[in-house]
Amino acid sequence: MSSFSRSAQQWATFARSWLLIDARMQPPGKIASMCSVRLQGKHKPIYHPLSDIGDHVVVMNTRHIAFSGNKWEQKVYSSHTGYPGSFKQLTATQMHRKDPTAIIKLAVYGMLPKNLTRRTMMQRLHLFPDDVLPEDILKNLTEELPQPREIPRKLSEYTQEERDAFPMLWTP
Amino acid sequence: MMSFCVTLLDKQYYLMVEKKDGKTTVIEGVIEPISERPQPPNPTASCPIYRWNLQNKYNYTDVLLLRQFIRSDGGMLPRRITGLCAQEHTKIAICVQMAHRAGLLPDHKPPLPDGHVPKPKPNPPLNRYLTRYSVKSVRPIYKTGLKWCKKRMSVGHPALKNNVRYSPKPLYIKH
Repeated sequence: MSSFSRSAQQWATFARSWLLIDARMQPPGKIASMCSVRLQGKHKPIYHPLSDIGDHVVVMNTRHIAFSGNKWEQKVYSSHTGYPGSFKQLTATQMHRKDPTAIIKLAVYGMLPKNLTRRTMMQRLHLFPDDVLPEDILKNLTEELPQPREIPRKLSEYTQEERDAFPMLWTP
Repeated sequence: MMSFCVTLLDKQYYLMVEKKDGKTTVIEGVIEPISERPQPPNPTASCPIYRWNLQNKYNYTDVLLLRQFIRSDGGMLPRRITGLCAQEHTKIAICVQMAHRAGLLPDHKPPLPDGHVPKPKPNPPLNRYLTRYSVKSVRPIYKTGLKWCKKRMSVGHPALKNNVRYSPKPLYIKH
């Protein structure tokens, strides 16, 4: 804001902020792309790949992620340590049961630029399976980002008035 | 005390009320006018969806529309009763299937047999939406293939490809 003093304005532009995203009922890919944009600092007009201006991103409720289609059964995460016989292939369901934060972690890792700054950016990403956040992170949070997908309402969440207001399409 | 009603040409409710006084039963037929219902914008059409001009405008999230064509245990009503045309019936069936798999119709589950307590499931069900195939029938894609012959994961259903889209991006079915 132009009413701030110069030092305060400079602090506001170059400060590293803490952003919060709720991943409940959201597709993990969209969450990951939002995270990668903010971890690199591409949402700031002062972006440069060499200047380390990414923000901290905290993702909560990663356990309640929603995949579109049949990806829970079809998507396969493969890994190989290099030793013979260590080729592991896990479906998204198995991966999620083992570690509820792994899916988003791998998605963000794949979306960040493939250079040495990727590891530092991953250290600034904080994933939590439920909405219980530690106190020190709660104190640092500044902004909550809007969710990418609109969560559809269940039939039980509609009030009786809304159900009556909807016209009957056919009569029995 | 028994009462049932019959619609007469969609204009009146003909309510039959039975009263018992000792040994005599009096059956009275009371005509009650139906409250004013909103008229469809296109009344001269055989299919209810064409009557209301909702051809390409509904999706799996429009539960208030879909619940008019399903039974209480989640199954679809037959076409000869609802009066839907063949294509719209299949589209509604697909949307109802996707809504069930997304968990948007929690009260329309098939009734469990009496005295049957469901086993405590070790894992809570995973959230999903726009699922085309049933959960148990799908196999994992272990080898996705090269770019020119990639095995894609299908999302949504091609029957709904003509739906109205308010964004410039085309419908993305093969992920």
